[in-house]
Amino acid sequence: MSDFSRREFLKRSAAAGVASGVALTGFGKNAVASDVAQVGTIIDLTKCDGCKGLDTPACVTACREENKDRFPEPIDNIENYWPHKKKEDWSNKKGLTNRLTPYNWTFVQKTNVEHDGKQHTLHIPRRCMHCDNPPCANLCPFSVLHKMPEGPVVIDHDLCFGGAKCRTVCPWGIPARQAGVGIYLDIAPKLAGGGVMYKCDHCYSRVKSGREPACVEACPRNAIIFGEKEKMRALAQRRAAEINGYIYGDKENGGTSTFYVSPVPFEKIDVELMKQKAAQPNPKAPGFPGMPVDVENFTETANGIAWSMAIAPVAGIAAAAGVAYKTMKGGEKNV
Amino acid sequence: MSEKTVKNKKKIKRHGLSVLFVHCTVAISTFVLIFSGLGQMPLYKRYMLDLVPGLSWVSDFSVTLSIHYWAAVVLIFAIVYHIVFHGIRRDFDMLPRRGDMKESVQIIMAVFGFGKEPENDKYLAEQRLAYIFIGSSLLILVFTGIIKVLKNLPHINFSEDFIYWITQIHNLGTLLIIIGVVVHLGAFIFKENWPMLPGIFTGKIDLEYAKRRHSIWYDRIFEKKR
Repeated sequence: MSDFSRREFLKRSAAAGVASGVALTGFGKNAVASDVAQVGTIIDLTKCDGCKGLDTPACVTACREENKDRFPEPIDNIENYWPHKKKEDWSNKKGLTNRLTPYNWTFVQKTNVEHDGKQHTLHIPRRCMHCDNPPCANLCPFSVLHKMPEGPVVIDHDLCFGGAKCRTVCPWGIPARQAGVGIYLDIAPKLAGGGVMYKCDHCYSRVKSGREPACVEACPRNAIIFGEKEKMRALAQRRAAEINGYIYGDKENGGTSTFYVSPVPFEKIDVELMKQKAAQPNPKAPGFPGMPVDVENFTETANGIAWSMAIAPVAGIAAAAGVAYKTMKGGEKNV
Repeated sequence: MSEKTVKNKKKIKRHGLSVLFVHCTVAISTFVLIFSGLGQMPLYKRYMLDLVPGLSWVSDFSVTLSIHYWAAVVLIFAIVYHIVFHGIRRDFDMLPRRGDMKESVQIIMAVFGFGKEPENDKYLAEQRLAYIFIGSSLLILVFTGIIKVLKNLPHINFSEDFIYWITQIHNLGTLLIIIGVVVHLGAFIFKENWPMLPGIFTGKIDLEYAKRRHSIWYDRIFEKKR
């Protein structure tokens, strides 16, 4: 073997490198080069008054009406999540409108915040933020959540197993779970899965047909504005400058399609919301999100490691070529 | 001299450092990937593994995801090293050959006392088949895993059908690799295979065992020496 030439070595190295590269990276990517303009919303907290005089804010009523045909219809006698002695069943609380549930995909938080010596009463419509790089969709173990080209993040209710990982990795814990419904019932309902996750899908079917989401259409004070995302971002910045206010949602979780504009800093709003949550009968229950400022995307650390993954094949090729050359020159066979 | 026999200890070198390194890194990273990958399903909290002292981290998706990524870095390095190293050297002893399926059946039957085991080369026919099964499963996992990693990066989106099927194939690959590992380790239930074990840790196996069970390889080595 020691008579093998440098040219032969280089030839084999190139062939083996190409073969392993092809094997490991595939021939191409089926990436979506979207030319669809993304949509977004502004939620102007200087305008929203929670629909004074109405029992339920108009946006909440409109959302419930729009989505009522998609609300879960669970079986009777839902099993617990074995080995735990609990399940998430909201079917006897369908009327709740003061938190997110599988039957209520948006709600309005009310809070009083002191800022610059002034008391502000704020009404904050809450729902999915439709993140730019949504951890819920990225980390779903069955890939049944998707970031659509237009921007909304949508759950496929027919395929969702209800493991609720999407809620765990969402900085706001938005998706709500209903047990006793969905594909898990057909597989191993006692052992795996927990139902189906539900949340706002930005009225995706309406958006696709060129209409506004139901909440936007229903808002009597024009507090929720819908349009092309970049225009909404610019509008939010202009509005924030006008009122010497603050924006939430442009940077959080790596960026979202929802831009809240407020006259008070969101750090203060978050503190007040967390106080409200702590005062609830079950403070750990999901469905009452805070507003953590600059909250990091769940995949950020992992995405940093991805760069090492790009270097690994190059290092592997270099190391293998070096060692192979050495062993072949030495005529070693049993390597 | 390349074919090192250590006659005073009656051993023969079966694997060099490169093979030992690749086997070790692939084995460890695969175990870590399986464990951290199953952790990406909400399993460990459901089944309260995180309540075991010292294992509270297993239900933290951010921890298991980072571990999964780092283990993938190690696995990709080892796989590329393996393919390039053996590709350059044209060492293809592990690749399946015509008749391996039939020979594997004969080997298994012989273990249970039915019939005679065929003469074997450096690797048993069943080892060559196991290699291609485990290797293919790993390549499926790495290929689909890379796409899943790309999907997690900002500004990269794939079509929903494509990513749905990539994820299902990744999950199926996990099942295949678990089966592969279980069967691979299961081979050592049989005493007949025990003498092969030291080879994967030290690189050497018993000379008499090699002569008896890997006679084609043994004869080739000693014929060349003569």
